Amino acid sequence: MLETVNLKKVFKQNVAADDVNLYLDQGESVGLLGPNGAGKSTTISMISTLLRPTSGDVKWHGKSVIKNPNEIRDVLGVVPQEIALYKELSALENLKFFGKIYGLKGKQLDKKIQEVLEIVGLTERQKDLVKTYSGGMKRRINIAVALLHEPVIIIMDEPTVGIDPQSRNYILEMVRQLKEEKGMTVLYTSHYMEEVERLCDRIYIMDHGKVIATGTKEELTSILSSEETIIVDFDRPYPNLVNKLEKNESILQVTETDNGIKLIVPKGSRQLGTIFNLAEKEEAQITSINVQVPTLEDVFLHLTGRKLRD
Amino acid sequence: MKALFLLQWQRLKREPLLIGSMMVMTIVFVLAMGGFRVSSAVSVPTYFDASVQNQKAWLERLNEATEGFEFFATEENRSKEDIALGKYPYALQVMEDDFRIFMLAEDENLQVLKQVVAQTYLKEKRVSTAAAQVDEPEQFRKQVKEYLSEPPIIVSKVTPGPLEGAPSYNQKLQTLYGMSLFFAMYTIIFSLSKIAEEKRTGTLNRIILSPIRKWQVYIGHMSYSYVIGFTQIVLIVLMFKYIFGYNVGEQMGAVILTIASFVFAVVAIGMLILGLIKSTDQLNAVVPIVTVSMAMLGGAFWPIEIVSNDIILAISNVVPMTYAMEALKAVSMFGQGLADIYEPLAILVLIGVLCMGVGVNLIERKA
Ligand SMILES: Nc1ncnc2c1ncn2[C@@H]1O[C@H](COP(=O)(O)OP(=O)(O)OP(=O)(O)O)[C@@H](O)[C@H]1O
Ligand SMILES: [Mg+2]
Repeated sequence: MLETVNLKKVFKQNVAADDVNLYLDQGESVGLLGPNGAGKSTTISMISTLLRPTSGDVKWHGKSVIKNPNEIRDVLGVVPQEIALYKELSALENLKFFGKIYGLKGKQLDKKIQEVLEIVGLTERQKDLVKTYSGGMKRRINIAVALLHEPVIIIMDEPTVGIDPQSRNYILEMVRQLKEEKGMTVLYTSHYMEEVERLCDRIYIMDHGKVIATGTKEELTSILSSEETIIVDFDRPYPNLVNKLEKNESILQVTETDNGIKLIVPKGSRQLGTIFNLAEKEEAQITSINVQVPTLEDVFLHLTGRKLRD
Repeated sequence: MKALFLLQWQRLKREPLLIGSMMVMTIVFVLAMGGFRVSSAVSVPTYFDASVQNQKAWLERLNEATEGFEFFATEENRSKEDIALGKYPYALQVMEDDFRIFMLAEDENLQVLKQVVAQTYLKEKRVSTAAAQVDEPEQFRKQVKEYLSEPPIIVSKVTPGPLEGAPSYNQKLQTLYGMSLFFAMYTIIFSLSKIAEEKRTGTLNRIILSPIRKWQVYIGHMSYSYVIGFTQIVLIVLMFKYIFGYNVGEQMGAVILTIASFVFAVVAIGMLILGLIKSTDQLNAVVPIVTVSMAMLGGAFWPIEIVSNDIILAISNVVPMTYAMEALKAVSMFGQGLADIYEPLAILVLIGVLCMGVGVNLIERKA
């Protein structure tokens, strides 16, 4: 539906985006993950026609948007990284203005405004000035404005940056609903891997202007390893249980630890049931169980030698 | 576009302080500089030694001797205090046969003051010496005074007067127009700077993504700035005309047309400045420099007619303030009409068109 072709942006000496190729299909949610300065905002600005690429192209249904940006602008809802609102006005006044410039008016405008206020949960505070809002509320109204004209695609640039966990959860849940209930296509930018993991069907990892890895969360983490580690602690040693586990063919390795055992299994082979069953038969008391899967954080570390957030 | 225009008024309603203070400042400055002190004489606090007789006569003699200074009686301590505080430049101590001038710093008027007072002393000495020789000194003094008021030789200066019936050159109007135009430049350029602010906060991007086109954004902001600048000047002129009784002449239409052309030129210059600056910080630094220097060069603070420096006069030729002041003074002080001021007005519009073209282009290129 939407794709970028060798998208590149050079600011003076600085290559902010370098041959970025990515695509969005109808109804999917795609994450753009990368540390500060990776080029996420630059890429998004080019996709949303606000920034002219140095080279490369953005295609909407196969047609270049650079020559004809109006078509994609109509279906795009962009939530900028900064709070792009008139802070001395109320939320309602902001929504009215931005609704009007999209040609909404009268009852239709009022109805739409109440609808988006409902979505972001600010119906009660709509008459308050934006500058009196908390950080989380500002972020939410920043999103609401982008929803007024019923976009098909919503592009969000770090919508949860610098806010409390509660507001963050609210926003994440909201994005999930937009996707699942309204069928919106989402391009979600973040440098929090948990958010992208939780929300996105597919993920692009960017660093220094380049897409360095892409795929579903599982595909990405499998770059790192095809195995997972399960650590099980018991109240006391159960040698019989260890024996039986060692005989199980789908368990690659069993080692005894101070408090129990450590198993290595092929990734995604769903061995927990087997372990529970055996433990039941041996009447072994499990005190804790821990499955260690490589995270996107680990993937990023693996790919770049650096931590995602430093 | 209408939404954009109305939005700015809505925002102004929430934060009226800046524009409001420009209005208040104009009024305060016009009143302080042009309204109250009609004479331009320098006030000189004067006190007398106890030995001096007939202090009132002394004061009269001093004041009769000159128009440049205004002597008034006061206490010694008080006058010294005022000098120390810088309230007055000089104080005069009158003694029987001598005088003393107190001051904080020497300036160009000091010599004049010295001369005036010394002359007065000399003259008085002569008259009183002569009067001492006659039987009726008071009568003698009166005769001398009458004689001097119609001396045998009269030196008179003739300056061409204003047209019959029209108001003449007038410091009050100079101040009124100068200050209103000067402060309106601030109002206009700061209102326009909302464009730069929209760019910084990202609201401009939101607008660009909507079906509104960028030129509509510019028109929206420019028309808002235009209306607010125009309204500010006209309101102040009307206020001084009707409340403070300033005589701005008969041709209100020509005055308003001049203001309209001036505001157009300033809006355009504002766009040019916005095109040239890189950040809002830079803008805040540049605007006072530009407005103050344009006001100085264009004769908002003092009549450009008193400037003789060729370079300054040459620069003043490209400053809209020059033409606006020229036209306003022609209309209000010298009773001229639209037909006489079409040239300065045309130049204002021309400056406007040029600056706007370049400015919009520069802003566009930055985006
Ligand atoms: N207008 C600009 N002029 C010059 N350089 C720029 C400009 N915008 C971005 N850059 C540079 O491009 C690079 C990528 O910036 P970008 O804002 O796209 O990163 P980001 O991934 O969004 O980072 P963050 O997580 O901090 O938002 C940075 O090195 C930045 O300094
Ligand atoms: Mg960014």
